[in-house]
Amino acid sequence: MSRSSRAVVTLPKTAKRGEVFEIRAIVQHEMESGFRHTEQGVRVARDIIREFVCTYNGKEVFRSELHPGIGSNPLFIFYAKAEQSGSLEFKWTGDDNYLTIVKQTITVL
Amino acid sequence: MRLLGQLALLGLLLAAPIFSYADSRISAYTLMSPSNQAMQNDMNLNPAMFWIMDGEALWADRNNPSNKACVDCHRDAKQSMKGVSATFPKRVQGKLLNLEGQINQCRTTRQQLPTLAYESKPLLALSTLIAYQSRGLAIAASRDSALEPDLQKGKLLYFQRMGQLNLSCAQCHDERAGSKLAGSVIPQAHPTGYPIYRLEWQNVGSLQRRLRNCMSGVRAEQYAYGSLELSQIELYLMQRANGMRIESPAVRP
Repeated sequence: MSRSSRAVVTLPKTAKRGEVFEIRAIVQHEMESGFRHTEQGVRVARDIIREFVCTYNGKEVFRSELHPGIGSNPLFIFYAKAEQSGSLEFKWTGDDNYLTIVKQTITVL
Repeated sequence: MRLLGQLALLGLLLAAPIFSYADSRISAYTLMSPSNQAMQNDMNLNPAMFWIMDGEALWADRNNPSNKACVDCHRDAKQSMKGVSATFPKRVQGKLLNLEGQINQCRTTRQQLPTLAYESKPLLALSTLIAYQSRGLAIAASRDSALEPDLQKGKLLYFQRMGQLNLSCAQCHDERAGSKLAGSVIPQAHPTGYPIYRLEWQNVGSLQRRLRNCMSGVRAEQYAYGSLELSQIELYLMQRANGMRIESPAVRP
């Protein structure tokens, strides 16, 4: 079974055709780098998100690879162009079968 | 001569507000970059909202021997917890308790659950949820006269030099507030935003974590989490910031 966590995506409910709109996607994740040790000297295993992808009506509009240097609870702010009404899917995948998916809809006027 | 005296007195009264301590108090919020301020203001950007969501889940959690959730006694946190964090630390059944102490007291006596460890995720989730309900309200420090000895002890600790660096809280946060320490502006140390999401910690943390952080900074032996001394310092800081707006959960760099 895959692990998931809380995520919040903010985007407008409606947009005019051709309008560029802002998307904010923040996810709750420790982003354990794998370089840290416990007080007993045991290395803490790496546990990070590896990839974030946003698709708009099935078409990929944003993709990011994440690395151990990225801090916890990563926030992405990016833009997309409103073409057609439909759904946006936000998918975070990572170590230890991590998978979080959020779906949002937008109406293009 | 008498007229002159009256004039001097009048002048003194007029001048007084300009030099009054209250007017010069500022939150460390004003020292932050606009992007960090935006992160604090907009709850869709503020990472502490995840702790609030976790707190809401815990608020309704009946999985304990008493089969009682917080919501069963306190109802909706949005109503019942409004302004609550503004009054802590205070005396509860003769004991000085901060907000975290009160949460644990409730857990042990009413839910028959073990106490939550300081800085553990569930305790921070509950304290963040509760403190968030006071966002925008003024700090209303307890006026309980029985707290006077604790308040005086807290003040003493604030002005007491400690650690290998032999510094008191006051030497940085009163005397040198506004100057720089390693590139960062020294804030006035008003506890307006706790629990805070600190970017350096990449986590939410309590006021006690912040106090212990400063103590290790001056290479002093840290008081234990939940110790009376830390609560007494908290109490003094809240009195010192009385009337300032609560920003919880604040974001700090």
